[in-house]
Amino acid sequence: MSKVYVGMSGGVDSSLTAALLVEAGHDVTGVYMKNWTQDLPGMRCPWADDLADAKRVAVHLGIDFKVFDFEAEYKQKVVDYMIDEYKTGRTPNPDIMCNQEIKFKLFLETALEDGAEYVATGHYAKTENGWLLMAQDENKDQTYFLYRVTEDALKKTLFPLGGYTKPQVREMAKERGLTTAAKKDSVGICFVGQIGMREFLSQYVTTEPGDIIDRQTGDVLGRHDGAIFYTLGQRHGLDIGGGLPYYVVGKDMDKNEVYVSTNLNDKSLWLKEIKLSSIHWINEKPADGKYQVRVRHRAPLVECDLRGDTLVFTEPQRAVTAGQSAVLYNGNVCLGGGLVSEI
Amino acid sequence: MTDQLFYLDHAAATPVDERVLAVMTPYFSDRFYNPSSPYAPAIQVRRDYEEAKSRLATTFGAKGDDIIITAGATESINLAFVSTSGHIVTSAIEHDAVLAAAKLHDHTLVAPTEKGIVRPEAVAAAITPKTGLVSVQLANNEIGTIQPIRDIAAIVKQERKHRLDSDNHDPILLHCDASQGFGQIDVNVARLGVDMLTLNSGKMYGPKQVGLLWVRPGVQLAPMIVGGGQERGLRSGTENVAGVIGFARAAELAHEHQKSESARLHELRDFMQGELSNAFKQLVVSGHPKKHLPGSLHVSIPGLDAERIVFALEVRGVLLATGSACAANKGTRSHVLTAIGMSDAEADGSLRITLGRLSDKASVEQATAIIIEEITRELKRTGHA
Repeated sequence: MSKVYVGMSGGVDSSLTAALLVEAGHDVTGVYMKNWTQDLPGMRCPWADDLADAKRVAVHLGIDFKVFDFEAEYKQKVVDYMIDEYKTGRTPNPDIMCNQEIKFKLFLETALEDGAEYVATGHYAKTENGWLLMAQDENKDQTYFLYRVTEDALKKTLFPLGGYTKPQVREMAKERGLTTAAKKDSVGICFVGQIGMREFLSQYVTTEPGDIIDRQTGDVLGRHDGAIFYTLGQRHGLDIGGGLPYYVVGKDMDKNEVYVSTNLNDKSLWLKEIKLSSIHWINEKPADGKYQVRVRHRAPLVECDLRGDTLVFTEPQRAVTAGQSAVLYNGNVCLGGGLVSEI
Repeated sequence: MTDQLFYLDHAAATPVDERVLAVMTPYFSDRFYNPSSPYAPAIQVRRDYEEAKSRLATTFGAKGDDIIITAGATESINLAFVSTSGHIVTSAIEHDAVLAAAKLHDHTLVAPTEKGIVRPEAVAAAITPKTGLVSVQLANNEIGTIQPIRDIAAIVKQERKHRLDSDNHDPILLHCDASQGFGQIDVNVARLGVDMLTLNSGKMYGPKQVGLLWVRPGVQLAPMIVGGGQERGLRSGTENVAGVIGFARAAELAHEHQKSESARLHELRDFMQGELSNAFKQLVVSGHPKKHLPGSLHVSIPGLDAERIVFALEVRGVLLATGSACAANKGTRSHVLTAIGMSDAEADGSLRITLGRLSDKASVEQATAIIIEEITRELKRTGHA
């Protein structure tokens, strides 16, 4: 029996996580991390409801419940980082940053200081002796978001859901009478969601309209309301009608221009190799050689060759975007990875 | 969730009485007409509406012509405050609607006593020659204390006289938010001596989003909502006929049964207080021991996390509030409990129990037993017992 602090978000995954740890005989404390509380235009931040949901489950389980207030740190380490990345034209992943800076650093440190021996979260992943392993449910595997966590942190972490599928988790939550069993999953970044990113960024960044230019012909096809809102490979939301669909194939932040093409084979959409920056290996630095890589969450694992800080794909990969993460695997072991640097 | 519900939160909302609903329904269908239309069936609806307003006003000793129908107490309060120029005196334990409206003006908040009573002398001390409005609630929504409105009215009258004597012609009015308490205690504008009174249908077994502001004849108000000139031009918009028909019936029923209901609730509440005090030696009962609404009971156990009790109880069908429902949602402490000088530990360990028509002897006994069980369980879990 260990003293375990569980990050409880008010969702079904972390609710069941807490329940399973209680059943396993641990001394469990539920913790709601208060990271973001502000409403956004047209979007109500559900933090108070989520907090109440998490607490309801804790009460149901008969465990202690605490609130850790990380609002200032979250804004600084996650939100500001994300905004800065977008400003420079890159496509950051705030979930990865949140795991690196908040959940598996600040939360872990605060919990340990408070007397915890381990922390646990509802991530779909497995960990053994400081190794990060893919979840049983490959479809739900979240190791992509966890590749910047340290070995030391993993040694203090439990992922009780790693062996279950999402439907199983919902079923088990229902069997246990957890009030969050049927609660909808949050999407994308916890507080914004994919659709809200434009509105969110507009709060912090002043953008200028600019031209959308056809890469093949050089024609101006339309106007965009800020190049930062566009990401490589994007098809929708361009508001340029007619004929074949256009894809974003590049942008120039200085000129505030977005380049599009109907050519699915446009060379900028397909990359054979990338350079990695801010590389983080969870355990020992892997030797150069053949591995599998994922360039975005739920993208298929593809073969690659690691050569120093260069990654050579066996087959060219579509829409690999600066700022996003390339995460390497050796079988089911997540090794770590790095950010795709300017291409 | 269990099948049986024990609803102990009548200060938050009351169910629409079936007798109220019955008189409302025709006005959604057969009698749907716009009261301003010229043909006979519409004119009948207008008569019904005016007659309902008149019956409604009678329940608190007023005339139908002197009430303005609004979409609830919050709007009534806003309307009462918006015409005020000058300084406002109100208490620190008013509902958020009053506090927010007061904040738009130069204002002074009068601190209550530790028992939650707004002393007339304290109100007198806060009044300045520039004060245009004094607003004090009839009864507190959290701790249930009944305020000495009549005595505060005497203070305001005295100030008015004093102003006349000193050739100051600035008006000073007294508004009373009587959202809580109607049907439990006497509410009569003449006996209270107020100039404006707010009532809320949704707290007296009538429909929600209907309220009224009674204004003493001669008091000049300015509208917030302009348009077709309904409600004497003070609140435009097609009349909420069904709502007012229901409000009137609800008020009549509440008024008619006030004495017996008051006695009944008093007994149930005292039973509960006795049981809880016996079960928990450390229990603190807040508010005034005598001057409280018959159905209101506010208790605290220092060190208890009351929100946990609310969540544990909801599973067992017992629905009640922590110190203040609104405050709990915002994750902040209740301004009422802060104002009466309650410590954080006590405030966090506070439960608000408000009994009403859904409470009978058997259900209150059962609910009390369940509450004691859950609090005991929690105190054991945390090593407090």
